[in-house]
Amino acid sequence: MTGVPEIPVQLQVIGSQLRAIADEMNAVLIRSAYSSNIKERRDCSTALFAPDGRMVAQAESIPVHLGAMPEAVAAVLTLDPQLGELYVLNDPYTGGTHLPDITLVSRTELGFAVSRAHHADVGGMEPASLPSQSRELYQEGLILPPVRLDPGVLTVMLANMRNPDERRGDLRAQTASHHLAEARVREIVARRGRDTVLAAMDELIAYSERRVRAGIAALPDGRYEAEDVLEPVEGTLRIKVAVTIRGDELEIDFEGTSPQYAGNLNCPLSVCRSACFFVVRSLTDPDVPASGGAFAPVTVKAPLGSLVNARRPAAVVAGNTETSSRITDTLFSAFGKAIDTVPAMGQGTMNNITFGNGRFTYYETLGGGQGAGPGYDGPSAVHVTMSNTLNTPVEAFELAYPLRIERYSLRPGTGGAGRWRGGDGIVREIRVLEDCRLSVLAERRLHAPQGAQGGEPGAMGRTLLNGEPLPPKATVALSAGDVVRVETPGGGGFGRPD
Amino acid sequence: MTRILGIDVGGTFTDAVLLDGGRIFTAKVTTRRGRQEESVVAAAAALGIGGVDGLAIDRFSHGTTIATNALLERKGARTAFVATAGFEHLLHLRRQTRAHLYRLGDRHPEPLVPVERSFGVRERIGPEGVLEPLDLSTLPADLGGAEAVAVCLLFAFRDPAHEEAVAAALRERFPGVHVVASHEVAPEFREYERASTTASDAYLGPVSRRYLEALAARCAEAGLPEPLVMLSSGGVATVAQAAAHPALILVSGPAGGAVGAARVARLAGVETAIAFDMGGTSTDVCWISNGRADRSRERTVGGLPIRLPTVDIHTVGAGGGSIVWRDAGGAQRAGPQSAGAEPGPACYGRGGTEATVTDANLLLGRLPEELADGLKLDRAAAERAMAGIDPRDVIAVVNAEMLRALRVVSVEQGKDPRDAALVAFGGAGPLHACELADELGMTRVLVPQAAGVLSALGLVASEERRDHVRSYVMPLADAGELPREGEADLRYKGQSFELTVPLSAPDLADGFHQAHEERYGYCDRARAIELVAIRTAEITPGPELQLTADHGRIEAVGPLRVELPGATCWVPAGWAGATDEHGTLVLERKEPLP
Repeated sequence: MTGVPEIPVQLQVIGSQLRAIADEMNAVLIRSAYSSNIKERRDCSTALFAPDGRMVAQAESIPVHLGAMPEAVAAVLTLDPQLGELYVLNDPYTGGTHLPDITLVSRTELGFAVSRAHHADVGGMEPASLPSQSRELYQEGLILPPVRLDPGVLTVMLANMRNPDERRGDLRAQTASHHLAEARVREIVARRGRDTVLAAMDELIAYSERRVRAGIAALPDGRYEAEDVLEPVEGTLRIKVAVTIRGDELEIDFEGTSPQYAGNLNCPLSVCRSACFFVVRSLTDPDVPASGGAFAPVTVKAPLGSLVNARRPAAVVAGNTETSSRITDTLFSAFGKAIDTVPAMGQGTMNNITFGNGRFTYYETLGGGQGAGPGYDGPSAVHVTMSNTLNTPVEAFELAYPLRIERYSLRPGTGGAGRWRGGDGIVREIRVLEDCRLSVLAERRLHAPQGAQGGEPGAMGRTLLNGEPLPPKATVALSAGDVVRVETPGGGGFGRPD
Repeated sequence: MTRILGIDVGGTFTDAVLLDGGRIFTAKVTTRRGRQEESVVAAAAALGIGGVDGLAIDRFSHGTTIATNALLERKGARTAFVATAGFEHLLHLRRQTRAHLYRLGDRHPEPLVPVERSFGVRERIGPEGVLEPLDLSTLPADLGGAEAVAVCLLFAFRDPAHEEAVAAALRERFPGVHVVASHEVAPEFREYERASTTASDAYLGPVSRRYLEALAARCAEAGLPEPLVMLSSGGVATVAQAAAHPALILVSGPAGGAVGAARVARLAGVETAIAFDMGGTSTDVCWISNGRADRSRERTVGGLPIRLPTVDIHTVGAGGGSIVWRDAGGAQRAGPQSAGAEPGPACYGRGGTEATVTDANLLLGRLPEELADGLKLDRAAAERAMAGIDPRDVIAVVNAEMLRALRVVSVEQGKDPRDAALVAFGGAGPLHACELADELGMTRVLVPQAAGVLSALGLVASEERRDHVRSYVMPLADAGELPREGEADLRYKGQSFELTVPLSAPDLADGFHQAHEERYGYCDRARAIELVAIRTAEITPGPELQLTADHGRIEAVGPLRVELPGATCWVPAGWAGATDEHGTLVLERKEPLP
């Protein structure tokens, strides 16, 4: 290969050790967490940053965390953190994503350690802190701007959250991952020397950047546009994007996207950027190690005050799950005009369902059809794009909640036809055994996931209460015996059907 | 005097170990694909066993890849699946995660049973008991030509009555069809994992039975005793037991290596170790505590979860044959592409032209010009392949891969490798072990004299074992009388992960709080504990392993290449040691790391 500098192997080996530290932080966090959201669904990530605030290595299990941390480190850097201090934040407008994602940042011997985990409750108007009807950030839970995590702050946090013991346990798990990172970075600096480790950090960042640049350079130059819509309670929300490929650089511009609105599909810029990185990584180099360099060739422009770069105090809780999914769909459509290998759209929603009353709260997301691509049918019944969490087994679910699953099956024929077929959605039918409230936050109920290269769209999703359709977003009081049926969307087909 | 035979059939070679009064004899023959039983008899014959004048054998254990290959190559039976009506697609729904986060074209392997052979039967059991009676008239009249059928009904782990009735009805209506019900093979909660295990077991049943019956017959003909078969759990079982539930033998071969490493470590007085088996294309590592290979409750094989006790081996796709290349970002890489056995590394002189880890070891003088099995290494070919590549870089890069694997089974599980010895085996393990130990702060490396055939040695030493599990999923306080021996899977109410605690603990609840504290750094004595399952095992201990060195005492002070009968070992500067009375080379770091 010409033009690619060979990496000194010593730096490569140290880089591998730095990546291993991020992995080990993640293992510690998952192992010691209290709640199933972190432990089983692995809705968390950990990372090491260089002293200048660039990300060196990240361990993430869910793409929505990809590359969304630099804002958190930048926000904490302004507070001049000292070795041994731990900072906490969840404010989407100063380094966070949505309020349930609590981020810790600490200084190490050389740079910073960061952990982020989705906590099962951070207060607010509804249990689980994922209200379908929130109109302002204040309703979604306790807001933590970057602040030192001292006993006083912890007391305030726990007083505002519904399950304080669990929160304490999960925060302790995050803290343990930071202690580990501090010790490991100290060891590696002592053994290899500050300057060598710094050089290895630089090299890791430069390495990812070269790989992504090589991937972008393989795409045809030009400007490619696309738009798509979301399904708010009232009106229409539009996402408009223009992708400009110029050599080995990319610009993604959301000019023309709807302004932020008084619902909760708004996104802070960090979430929008994660969605962009997901698409770029998938299309250029899926195996590139996540670091600041991987995102350096990508510029994201989003008008301040728009749906994808919202301003305080817009509510944002569904931005993470639903708007981020639509951003990826829109971007894939735009790239599909540049190259003919971009897959069709997947289900494009996480089908968020919450049941609860004074005695219990249950939240789940459901998979659906993935879009087909060149040479492959779309997988059925999976989480697509920004999520990838495990389901709750029927037996675990019924042992824990006053709910019964009456049907759990594929939704045959819902994948779009094409040379390659889209994946099928899921049918899940739940009978509630006591009075409770249902909250549904779903998309692709009114607009189908599109096919690509002449493939047919996938089927839209539906939510039914005792056989009657519900709107995409709904909060309803249920009586014992009511049956909620969720039918998730299919994926689009790829290529014209024979 | 007892004679014990272990024969491990691998993809390329079949290894045999005969333990005869403490002395070890080994043989290696080429595996005959599709006729593993012939390879077994040939390996025995190579040791002078079997036939009219052959040595008589007291105990014979066997490791096989028959089930693994049938699963990976999809050569099992045409299988059907019967579930609770409304839940027919359990095998297709999996757990809703996709195969790879960013590679959009990656797919999970197809389920073993297609949608059109997945059937529902009207019935329903819930957490509190029967919700809808079983209606056997809703069973399919036609299984679509299936040779095997798996039955998995909801909550059968707690109440198997409906499954028993369905299995009995299917056996009666479809004689000759192999029927497996989930409560018979993996009576544990979480329906997908149970269904996947049951479907795999049914799918593998006919092909495994055919092989094991052919093997038993061939052994009888050749004058060998009926073999015991290595299970994934690290114990052995009879041919009949293995044939009844072949999902139990999916990790048969690697389990033998881990058991062998644990036994060799124990002979050297080491209870805590990491087994490090670096072969040609892949490397298996496994943590050993209290002299036994760690076990887990579940393992994924070929993308399918198998909920059965398994030696907890972590595998990475790099080994001595890994091909060296430079990626698009300018980094030197080794593997996962491998030169395999054919053509093999460039230095094998069989036409390989790409640089491999083995070529780098040769150029660094860590391998001799002629291997123990007589293969002459072609230095010039290695030099050509390695042109422009510093062999030390290759070693550094592949060691970084190995290191990550070793970290996964140690530090990422909260275990400190500095407390452990590294037991190195496989063709390449002893070449890399000391440098890896240095990276992890480990100060002791053991190289068994049977390093080239350790899996077969593990077979010789294995215990007989039958595992049982009983599911509870209820408050520990309500569980009543529990067995005294075995293990309990416990968790705090509301958690979705269990911890396994020995039932021998004086107070089970206290044992759980302590285990939680050790593993996770905290416990919550006020919180209710849930008992998820009780695991027991019937164990007949394996033979006492008496090993005597079959060579004189070998001393080594690094830097030095040491030729052992079954392996070549590289002892770097700062390391030194000698073989012990069992022939194991015990190396220690003598000088602190620079």
